[in-house]
Amino acid sequence: MSTQKYLCMYRGAPSQNKPSPAQMQEMFAAFNVWKEKFKANILDIGSKLKPSGKVLTASGVTDGPFAEAKEIVAGFMIIAADDYDGAVAVVKAMPGMQMPGACVEIREMASF
Amino acid sequence: MRGNPGDGVLLTDTSNPSGSLGPSTGPQDSFAASGLVEHFFRREYGRLVAILTRKVGVVRHVDLVEDAVQTAMMTALTSWVAKDLPEDPGAWLYRVAHNHLIGALRNNAGRLRILEAAANELTVAVDNPASPRFDDEVRDDLLRMLFVCCDEAIPKDSRLVLALKTLCGFSTAEIALRLFLSEANVLKRLGRAREHLREVPPDFDSLPMQALQSRLASVHVVLYLLFNEGYLSAQSDRTVRREMCDEAIRLTTLLTEHPVGATPETFALLALMHFHGARLTARLDGMGGLLLLEEQDRSLWDQDQMRLGAEWLQKAASGETFTRFHAEAGIAAEHAFAPSFAQTRWKEIADLYAMLDRIAPSPLNAMNRAVAIAEWQGPEPGLALLKAIEPPPWLLGYYLWDAVLGELHRRAGHKEEARRYIERALASAPTDAERELLRQRLASLESL
Repeated sequence: MSTQKYLCMYRGAPSQNKPSPAQMQEMFAAFNVWKEKFKANILDIGSKLKPSGKVLTASGVTDGPFAEAKEIVAGFMIIAADDYDGAVAVVKAMPGMQMPGACVEIREMASF
Repeated sequence: MRGNPGDGVLLTDTSNPSGSLGPSTGPQDSFAASGLVEHFFRREYGRLVAILTRKVGVVRHVDLVEDAVQTAMMTALTSWVAKDLPEDPGAWLYRVAHNHLIGALRNNAGRLRILEAAANELTVAVDNPASPRFDDEVRDDLLRMLFVCCDEAIPKDSRLVLALKTLCGFSTAEIALRLFLSEANVLKRLGRAREHLREVPPDFDSLPMQALQSRLASVHVVLYLLFNEGYLSAQSDRTVRREMCDEAIRLTTLLTEHPVGATPETFALLALMHFHGARLTARLDGMGGLLLLEEQDRSLWDQDQMRLGAEWLQKAASGETFTRFHAEAGIAAEHAFAPSFAQTRWKEIADLYAMLDRIAPSPLNAMNRAVAIAEWQGPEPGLALLKAIEPPPWLLGYYLWDAVLGELHRRAGHKEEARRYIERALASAPTDAERELLRQRLASLESL
């Protein structure tokens, strides 16, 4: 049983391409296969994040985030793996990773 | 329009006993994993576009409806992967697409007053996701959309593209692949269709189906075209071809279920599709090439589909009318029920081609009749018939014309004529499989 937890953050703007209904069905099937294969690793499949939000600092609340589009976190997921290699393998196998421009940052969550 | 599917008795239509056939199992496995039936997204696309277009009454802005459905499907993809498949995925999609559409109509309302009214109506009048589940209503909506696509004011090639897009849920890239067109060309055809739809008067949306009856002939033409694009396609991917034929059969079956479409002509068209559909698998060899009728393994012909063809042909015979589809279905039935190539009732087929030619005159019918007569009485009577035809210029450049002449001369032992025609056919044959067949025939002349 893997004990390390990893936070996976999808970066970049959501893809603009429009898959066809037939392609969507294929993607859905591929995602289901992936979910089943890694069900022990996927602790929280997470969510997409809406494009804008609030940034709270000592000086108050502003609309944000203001980062470069490519740095914006578009979604997240929490997985379990033994090490980074294991975590990378789970994310690499995710169907969305074949999309051009796909980018996921993987960070080990400290356990204290 | 291409030649009818009866062409190619001699040349293109054959089967390969060794070609291991049957649908590949790969896609089915993954569909099972998704918990959705095959083609679920595509079929839902057509269903939702049709329902929402009728509910909102904006044939003029069917592209807004399509965008809403597309967006709902993208949302579904994320949501269904993250959570579980909803109990009723169709109702889920309907609800989400409906809400997106209201938003889109509101956003566009500033420019277009009519859309504001539509949005209000949609908000007030519906949101009853249960209602589109009534099969009758959905069927009528789909048919209505089919009749919308078949407006004779839209150029014929645009009608087909519009139907493939809105009713069958194919993307422009997928349509391009299926019709052997560039994607730009598909977009252009689609654009022409939409341009026309924008001119449809607003009260069009409230017309009852019966008012659209005058378009039935155009609907038949588009369905026939759709089937032939699958059946005659040079596309080597078997599942792609099957899909096109299945879509044509699905929509034609819908048409038979509505009083407006339930005519002997529609029944004959459906019979024709089933007879040809029954032979579709056996018609392709292992490499996607076409097999001659003579070479086809008749045990691969789909008995269930042949039975359906016979049932529809019987229904088609109920009235007084005898249409081109009756003649073509009759020819297809003769082939389907012949115990072997040699035992085919060639005289009946020759007679049916003569009847077809009286209804829809074309030198192609005479050509096919000559082929049947050559099988029945020998190559010389067949050649005599061909000589009596004055071929129009387009036919002279058609490889099948040369191929048929070449083959009949070859059988009659006219070595030089045979060579001349086969070489000409070879120069314009569209596929490798057909060129290969012609080369074999050319080689066989040496031993004459």
